[in-house]
Amino acid sequence: MDHARMEGRKVLIIGYGSPIRGDDAIGPLVADRLQAEGMPEGVEVISRHILTAELVADLVEHDRVVFLDAAVDGAPGEVRCRSLAPDASAMSTMAHFLDPRELLAWCETLYDKVPETFLVTACGSSFDYSNYVLTPTAEAAIEPMLDWVRRLIDPNECASRLSQPTDGAAMHGETGSPTMIL
Amino acid sequence: MSRTVVIEPVTRIEGHARITLQLGDAGEVEDAKFHLTQFRGFEKFCEGRPYREMPALTARTCGICPVSHVLASNKACDHLLSVSIPPTGEKLRRIINLAQITQSHALSFFHLSSPDLLLGWDSDPVSRNIFGVMRQDPALAKDGIRLRQIGQTIIETLGGKKIHPTWVVPGGVSEPLTQEKRDAMLALLPEGLDIAKRTYAFFKTLVPKFKDEASHFGNQPTMFLSLVSPKGHLEHYDGLLRLKDAQGRILEDMVPPHEYERLIGEAVEDFSYMKFPYYKPQGYPKGIYRVGPLARLNNVDACGTPYADVALAEFHMLQESGPIASSFHYHYARLVEIIYALEMMERLLKDPTILDARVRARARSNRYEGIGVAEAPRGLLMHHYRIDDEGLITWVNLIIATGHNNLAMNQSIRQVADAYVDGNNLQEGMLNRVEAVIRCFDPCLSCASHAFGEMPIAIELKDATGRVVDTLRRG
Repeated sequence: MDHARMEGRKVLIIGYGSPIRGDDAIGPLVADRLQAEGMPEGVEVISRHILTAELVADLVEHDRVVFLDAAVDGAPGEVRCRSLAPDASAMSTMAHFLDPRELLAWCETLYDKVPETFLVTACGSSFDYSNYVLTPTAEAAIEPMLDWVRRLIDPNECASRLSQPTDGAAMHGETGSPTMIL
Repeated sequence: MSRTVVIEPVTRIEGHARITLQLGDAGEVEDAKFHLTQFRGFEKFCEGRPYREMPALTARTCGICPVSHVLASNKACDHLLSVSIPPTGEKLRRIINLAQITQSHALSFFHLSSPDLLLGWDSDPVSRNIFGVMRQDPALAKDGIRLRQIGQTIIETLGGKKIHPTWVVPGGVSEPLTQEKRDAMLALLPEGLDIAKRTYAFFKTLVPKFKDEASHFGNQPTMFLSLVSPKGHLEHYDGLLRLKDAQGRILEDMVPPHEYERLIGEAVEDFSYMKFPYYKPQGYPKGIYRVGPLARLNNVDACGTPYADVALAEFHMLQESGPIASSFHYHYARLVEIIYALEMMERLLKDPTILDARVRARARSNRYEGIGVAEAPRGLLMHHYRIDDEGLITWVNLIIATGHNNLAMNQSIRQVADAYVDGNNLQEGMLNRVEAVIRCFDPCLSCASHAFGEMPIAIELKDATGRVVDTLRRG
């Protein structure tokens, strides 16, 4: 996506996770930080405990969506960014939680429109009870996550560049989606 | 010798229910049990906390309907303060509660139950899910998303976009409503009401197809408990308790919610972490009753809004006489309540006093005991606190809507099992019907669990000696 194409486009950032389960709060906390520092015109930031069905209507109204979440499948503190595609097989059995790829599949099936979507995650190390308090390892991952978001909302950054490894980043291709690890 | 107590798994367990069917020698169902296997412990770990933290703490009970707990908890705090909150503050609380009911009922109908209702209980389980609904009726699926979005937008307009909004506070609400926000919410309601009315009209055409399910899905004589307004109208925020028996006779009426302990006893069983509330004068387990949309519509004399009252009259025609007995008709009642909620929100938002700046009464605690009762989407929600001189919590009791229905859900499973289970050969369709009867109640297991399509569930078939002879598992 070049500068001209990115300008004027709508971006939605969704930080999600439980505020009271330790490092799971990192998504909402990063969203709060973004809100506090102020976003450019056309960029909206929301926080969610969980991803629920009505978000589909918001997703299809945006050109690019960035999900912010905690992860457990890596070294604590590891920050990754990868693009997401619709995946109906990611369907949850619970109403409490929808996988972002399932939400994209809803977009595709119902509205025939899927926003360009990225998932930025940080691996947590503790998910015990605490209220918006992260472990030091997860705390240190906030800034790299913010860096990713800033790049993803920067009109000068194009999608093709984001999908390639850059300084300090490495491809992580187990899902088949472009994935970068900081 | 020191001991280590390990509680595991702690997370990712919400929604994991277990059903046990006990068979006799001939393969007939002798007993059926619905087990809630998760333990939360809110009543205990809230002890010692300042009472003003209770709305925020108890909101964490549920990630999907925290508004209900926020309201019941703040009402308990109002009681502790001994204040009467300003009328506009009360109206604003009513609106956020109705928005919660709208989006919660929409989730239950459009996303949790519609796969069964549209595709059939015996359809291929691979496609009996929300994607199957999208393919079968994309307009209906879009309506469900939009209705939820309308409810959620109103909640966020009032409460803010934080995960756990703190707009509702002891004594009222923290901020009055602006004209801009009122107009934005009002603009959403006509579309919402259109969706609700056409969904209701559509569902009415489906109901005759489900005569068999209506006969066996928790079609049982129980009492019904709910709030009603002083006029006997539908009431979700405040009001007085009414209890009807299975024949429609009013056994208790206009009971102040603070006297709930006179009506409700709580039993426990060793097979579930969910309590078993019962109507105290009739004892346990004879004092079985149901709460929620079905009970509310059975108990009221009128809804009090135009379209909902027409729908209420049609609801009563589902049965020749008396309260509607089948739990299958919870679905119907939910759709009527969505219509009511949207109509009532419009009425409240058009109230000339809704922009009044006086929305909060301020006081310190003035009594040692506070009780807050409201109607959550699934039924009566009760918060009961005791505090000490420092305002610290010394005792808590929470009675959650799904808990009120515990006896009825267990009885309903037994009825479905009797009707559909072939004890010598478990089939998927039977499993799905057992799920579906639970889904009629839209249970929030310890306010934590909703099931999509196929919920994680295990059914064990035991012979007369208790030996497990067959098991079906999902999730």
